[in-house]
Amino acid sequence: MTSRRAFLKTASAAALATPVVHPFLAWAADASAISVPGKDGMIVRSYRFLDLETPVEFMIDWITPVNHFFVRNHMFEPAKINAGTWKLTIGGEVEKPLTLTLADLQKVPVHSVTNAMECAGNGRSLHNPKVPGIQWGKGAVGNAKFSGPSLKVVLEKAGVKNSGKHVMFRGLDEVPGKVPPFIRSIPIEKAIDADTLIATQMNGAPLTQHHGFPARIVTPGWAGAASCKWLTEIAVLDKPADGNFMIPGYRMPNMPVKPGEAVKPEDTHSVTGLTVKSLIATPSDEAKLKPGKQEIKGVAWAGEADITKVEISTDGGSSWSPAELGKDHAKYAWRLWSYAWKPTKSGDYVILSRATDCQGRVQPDAAVWNPSGYLYNAYDQVKVYVQA
Amino acid sequence: MCKRNASILAVALICTLSIAEAASSPNEQLPAGPMQEKAAAACLSCHEARIIVQQRLSKAAWTREMDKMVKWGAEVDPQDRDALIDYCSANFGPDQPLYSAPKTAGASASKSRSKAKH
Repeated sequence: MTSRRAFLKTASAAALATPVVHPFLAWAADASAISVPGKDGMIVRSYRFLDLETPVEFMIDWITPVNHFFVRNHMFEPAKINAGTWKLTIGGEVEKPLTLTLADLQKVPVHSVTNAMECAGNGRSLHNPKVPGIQWGKGAVGNAKFSGPSLKVVLEKAGVKNSGKHVMFRGLDEVPGKVPPFIRSIPIEKAIDADTLIATQMNGAPLTQHHGFPARIVTPGWAGAASCKWLTEIAVLDKPADGNFMIPGYRMPNMPVKPGEAVKPEDTHSVTGLTVKSLIATPSDEAKLKPGKQEIKGVAWAGEADITKVEISTDGGSSWSPAELGKDHAKYAWRLWSYAWKPTKSGDYVILSRATDCQGRVQPDAAVWNPSGYLYNAYDQVKVYVQA
Repeated sequence: MCKRNASILAVALICTLSIAEAASSPNEQLPAGPMQEKAAAACLSCHEARIIVQQRLSKAAWTREMDKMVKWGAEVDPQDRDALIDYCSANFGPDQPLYSAPKTAGASASKSRSKAKH
């Protein structure tokens, strides 16, 4: 990506100078793919700043390759960080504030977690009525192996005081205009869980620029916003961080609300763990199939809980049958599933998938509408046409 | 005849340049309208037009977004506020057809799968 400053020099002028684009030409522009090195065949929700979505058709592997892993930025990515001079500070409610280099961090034992990371706003475009924000379809989710020191080990080196209740993360994102910085915190209990990481690797290789090089937080099982990229500061606080991305950002009403209804901040709670959810990777929506053996495949995840069951309906929800769960599984990871289907009659079919987790949560037929469009998790659905 | 050929050539040239320009910029464009330039000046220094054109919001929701963005640094002359809200509501309201997002270049799913197996 061009650095933000370099871009700004030309962006506004170019935007103003561009002539009115005829619909045909607009189509021509859309039809030509956009080059984002290291990211292949991804849906561009925003180019500047970068937000990329994974097409559901890619969700056929247990580990999502980095080139197909979604990207969510609230602001501009920092210019490439020099790993030799990068520093991480740990302060706030600690006995001994620390400053660590990447070399220091690499001396701490490595722990790995395979985590289905999902943006809180994944599926936002499926809410009705529409709500503002990046209009994610289904694919702001991926499953990757993250590795690095447990945050707990680093916090223990600094010595968390009894007054420490929340842990705040600051990244090096470049903030445009007067936009509030992207600062959020997680409760101390989650921060000292051994699986919460200061990750330096993703799928066995150093983090790439788009995923937070050289180090990021990974708060497994939680919405992606709890996993700060380009980490530069950790601060232990005596209360949750304030600021836009804690309140009103990333909050859900405690009770369902009607569109347009005002919600008081005290009647909301912070988005934390992910809900139970499944997606159908194949067949694609609107696919034309031949009668005979078909394999319906997809993924399912449930944040901090384990998937226990995925069921498929091929008759629009009248009847359900269990899918076979894939052999690969790990706490926080998604689970592949498959279902052998043999339609005998030509016609239109609505295929649904619904997941159940070990806490007894079941993917609902309709998601709870909320003003920011978070945590959409209704049954997944594709319509297919079977023709001899 | 010469004049006509020159006109055709000019039109062809403009089309070619427009295609080249549209294709060379990965950023989306704001639609034509009396507020196009002012919207570009107010919004596009912080983010590209695609973030605006993919929304499908009511006028009430656009009003909230406009006021939030002014608080976050969008430079909007108070006299232009209502016209900008009207421009967004007219072009990106709930009844408009959905925005179709482009893709990045590169491998398809099947290619990624064979890669992942290696």
